[in-house]
Amino acid sequence: MSSTIAVLAINGLVFGLIIALIALGLSIIFGLLDVINLSHGDFFMIGTVIAYTVITSTGLFWPAFILAPLIGLILGALIHLMVIKPLKNAAALTIVATFGLSMIIQEVVRMTFGAAPKRLMPPIEGTFNLFGVDYEIYRIFAAVASVVAIGAFFVFLKKTKLGTWMRAVRHDRDTATALGIPTQKVFMITFGLGFAMAAMGGVVAAPITTVDFRTGVDILPFCFMAVIIGGLGNLPGTAAAAVLLAFMEGVISGFADPTVARICSLVLMSMVLLFRPQGLFKGLTK
Amino acid sequence: MTQGVLSRGLWVLLIATLLTAPWLLPLIGDAFWLSILTEILIWSCFAASINFLLGYVGLLSFGQALYFGFGMYGVALGLTALGLGFWPSFFLGLVASALMALVTGIFAVRLTWHYFAIITVVFSLIFYFIALTIKPITGGDDGINFSAPEIFRLGDFTITFANPIDQYFFVLLVVVLCFVIVKIIVASPYGRSLIAIRDNDTRAALIGLNVYRLRLSAFVISGLLAGVSGSLFALFGRYASASYMFYHVSGEGVVWAIVGGVGTLMGPFVGTSLFVLIREIISSHWQHHALIVGAFAILVVIYAPKGIVGFWNDRMARKLSVGRK
Repeated sequence: MSSTIAVLAINGLVFGLIIALIALGLSIIFGLLDVINLSHGDFFMIGTVIAYTVITSTGLFWPAFILAPLIGLILGALIHLMVIKPLKNAAALTIVATFGLSMIIQEVVRMTFGAAPKRLMPPIEGTFNLFGVDYEIYRIFAAVASVVAIGAFFVFLKKTKLGTWMRAVRHDRDTATALGIPTQKVFMITFGLGFAMAAMGGVVAAPITTVDFRTGVDILPFCFMAVIIGGLGNLPGTAAAAVLLAFMEGVISGFADPTVARICSLVLMSMVLLFRPQGLFKGLTK
Repeated sequence: MTQGVLSRGLWVLLIATLLTAPWLLPLIGDAFWLSILTEILIWSCFAASINFLLGYVGLLSFGQALYFGFGMYGVALGLTALGLGFWPSFFLGLVASALMALVTGIFAVRLTWHYFAIITVVFSLIFYFIALTIKPITGGDDGINFSAPEIFRLGDFTITFANPIDQYFFVLLVVVLCFVIVKIIVASPYGRSLIAIRDNDTRAALIGLNVYRLRLSAFVISGLLAGVSGSLFALFGRYASASYMFYHVSGEGVVWAIVGGVGTLMGPFVGTSLFVLIREIISSHWQHHALIVGAFAILVVIYAPKGIVGFWNDRMARKLSVGRK
C-alpha cells in the first residue's frame, strides 16, 4: 500500500513538472500582457498532436522537441499580432477572443487530425523497479526534460537582453517604454514564448497522456490553479505550486477518488484566493 | 428622431414576431424552429445573468454555470426524487440557485476583476466535480431524465410542457418577465448605485454606498437569473446533467453576452440568437461550425468592442448628432 502511494506521489511529481512548464507560459502571458489566456491548454494539445504526427511520419521522437516550440512561437506571435494587439489588452475582450481562439484551434485539429483519441508509445521503452512496482523510464525522462526546459527559461529570463527586457516590461510598462524598450515587440515575443512552452509541455506529455483534441480543456484549470496558488505573475511560485498541487493530488488519489483529489486542490485554491491573494510563495518573487 | 422611429419599429417587429412565432415559423420552414426559438430565449436569460453583473456592476463572473446547474437539478430532483409537482419543483430550482449564489457570493464578491473571475470559475468547478462524484443523486454526466410535467390543469383544459406551443409561451412569459425586471432594477435607485460602483467603487463607497452588500445582492440576482434559465432548460430538455455545470457553459454565456453588447438590455438576446442560429443553420450543412463561431467572436471583439447592440447604438447616436447639425 505504502509503495503504491509512493509511486502515485512520484507520478504526481512528474506530472507537476510538466504542468509547471505549461503554467509558466500562462503566467508570463498574464504577468506581462494582463491577458487571461483561455486557449493556453489548446497549445499544449497542439504540442501532443505535433509529437504524434512527427513520431508516426518519421519514426523519430526527437525532432518534435524542436518543431513544437518553434511552431508554438510562430503561431503565438502571429496570434498576438492579429488578435491580441488590436484589443489593447482589454481584459474582458481578451477572454472572449482567446475563448474563440480555443474553439478554432480545437476544431481545426478535429478536422485535420480526427476526433478519435490516440495513444503514443513512449520513445524510451522499458521499465525499472521502483518500490516493487514497474515504473516507466520515460516518465523519469519527462521530468528531467521539463526541469531542463524550465531551467533554460529562467536562465533566458535572467541572463539575456530579451529576458531582461521582459522583466523590465513586467515591472513597469510605461517606464520600460520610455527607456526605449520596444514594448510591443516584447509583448509579441512573450506571447509566442508562452505558447512555445505550452507546446513543449505537450510534446513531453504526449507519450504519457492521450492525444486528443479536447485535452486542453482538462489541462487548463490545472494550469490556472498553479498560477493562482503560486501568486499571479510570480514565476518561481507558479512552478513550485504546480509541483506541490500535482504531488498532493497524486498522494490523495492513493486514498480516494481522483475527483476528490481535484476538489481538494480547488478548495485550497479558493482559500489562497480569499486569504492570501498574493500566492503561497510570495518570498520567491525576489 | 429617426432613431426613435427606427428602434420603436424594431421593438414592434420583435414583439410581433415573438407572439406569432408558433404559427409563423411552420409557414416558413420546419416546426423544429420553434424549439430553437425556445432554446434561444432560455439561453438569453443565462446571458442576461452575466450581462447584469458585468454590464451594471462591473464584475465578470465565469461561474454562472453553477447556478444554471443548480436550477436544473432543483427542478429535476423536485420532479423525480422528491415527487413534487411542477410549481414546487420550479420554485425549488430558483431557491436552490439563489441560495447557492448567496453562499458563494459571500466569499466571491470580496474580490474584484481577475480574482473575481477566477474564484467564480473555481467555485463552479468544485461543485461540478462534486456533482460528478455523487452519482446516485445527480446521475453524473448521464444526468437525470424525467417526463414533461403539466403546468396547469382545469378540468379538461391543460397547459403542459409536452405541447411545444404551451412550452414556448411559458418560456417566453418567464424570460420576458426576467428582462422586464432587469430593466426596472437598472432604472431604479438601487440599479443606479450598482452603476456607480461599476464606474468607481472607491467613490461609491465614499458617498456612503455599502459596496460589499450591493455587490452581493446583485450577485444573488444574477445567480437567480441563471437559475431561472437552468430550470427552464431542464424542463425544456426534460433532463439535468452535471456536464452543464462545466466552465465551458459559463464561457459560452460570457461570449454571448459580450458579443451581443454588455450593459445593454437586449444585448444578451441578440448575442445568444446569433450564436444559436449560426450553430443550428451551419451545423446541418457543415460539422465544423465551431470554426465560424470562434472566428465570429474574435472579429466582433476586435471591430465592435461594445458588442453588436453597443455598435448599433453608437451608429444611431452618431447619425442623430449629424442630423441635428
